[in-house]
Amino acid sequence: MKLSKIFRDGIINDNPIFVQLIGMCSTLAVSTNVVNSVAMGAAVIAVLVGSNLVISILRNVIPDKIRIPAFVVVIATFVTIVEMFMKAYAPPIYEALGIFLPLIVVNCIILARAEAFASKNGIVASIVDGIGMGIGYTIALVVLGAIREIFGAGTFLGMQVLPASYQPAGIFIMPPGAFILLGILIGVFNLARRKKSSSKA
Amino acid sequence: MKETVRLGIILMIITVVSAGVLAISNNLTKDRIAELEMAGSLEALRGIFGESANFKPLDEGKLAEIQGTNPAVVEIFEAYDGDSLTGYAIKHTSKGFGGDLVLMTGFNMDGTVAGLDVLEHSETPGLGAKAEEPEFRNRFVGLSTSGEITVEALSGATVTTTGVLAGVNEVREVFNTQLSN
Repeated sequence: MKLSKIFRDGIINDNPIFVQLIGMCSTLAVSTNVVNSVAMGAAVIAVLVGSNLVISILRNVIPDKIRIPAFVVVIATFVTIVEMFMKAYAPPIYEALGIFLPLIVVNCIILARAEAFASKNGIVASIVDGIGMGIGYTIALVVLGAIREIFGAGTFLGMQVLPASYQPAGIFIMPPGAFILLGILIGVFNLARRKKSSSKA
Repeated sequence: MKETVRLGIILMIITVVSAGVLAISNNLTKDRIAELEMAGSLEALRGIFGESANFKPLDEGKLAEIQGTNPAVVEIFEAYDGDSLTGYAIKHTSKGFGGDLVLMTGFNMDGTVAGLDVLEHSETPGLGAKAEEPEFRNRFVGLSTSGEITVEALSGATVTTTGVLAGVNEVREVFNTQLSN
């Protein structure tokens, strides 16, 4: 498999949010503004690349029977490292992400990539897969975060973009609004994807 | 049997290596984390009692005694203006809408609230998160500690307001019964 295809699959064809629909809980919870989305995306990319790398290296050492606990230990280690360094060097982001940072351990994107990709593929391919999937996740989060922040709070990256007379639509900030918006985005994304693939064929 | 032992040993090796890596990262970050936490507390204290005040942590024995009956209390600081004790600041936790709130509430010796700061929270942006803005926090300044403290709720964030108030009133009791005399 070509590396560029692996990379593109992560972002478009197998986008974890828009196509695979995995890791939804944290997606809905942290995408209330753009800064949180970018920070969460960066944390997930770091964990995903790290765990894919290590699991790919260990793929012939870890016996099949205990692969899940072994994967979870590796993933939890990376999450804890990211958590410690974020707490030390980016405390505002650490506080904003709150409980969803440690919960990356149970984010199914990470375990799914370990199980479906890194445990079966080489080191370089696994790293590329981690980066691709991570960027795909981040893009989805940032799009969601941008729309929610602009319409829900009238700001973008914390700066006022809509006139002060705009009454923020609180529903965008709340979980139900996130669900509705995510549904619409998934529809739009897949429509665009289908159009593109049919025009190619 | 042999197979089980083999699997156990492999898993053990993985966890031991992971523990080692974590120990190293902890060593690299723990000093800075402690420093940041202290700096965060100091900034909040200055915000409440003014730039010129000095602060000292409360005697540990007394703090432990207070924590025995009020587990929500995290830390207590004495605020001094020169040599005279002007008040106490209590760092404490309470339940918010999105998780724990970490608050710093300051009391003046004359029985009024000196100020409130929200140190950590996971409230909803645009609603409960407004609790950390001065507009809300300043509603507490100057209120008497002799009766239950109430303020106008944040609109759309009743649970957050209730959580803050419950926390503030709990430490108000602590201040009244164990610190103010």
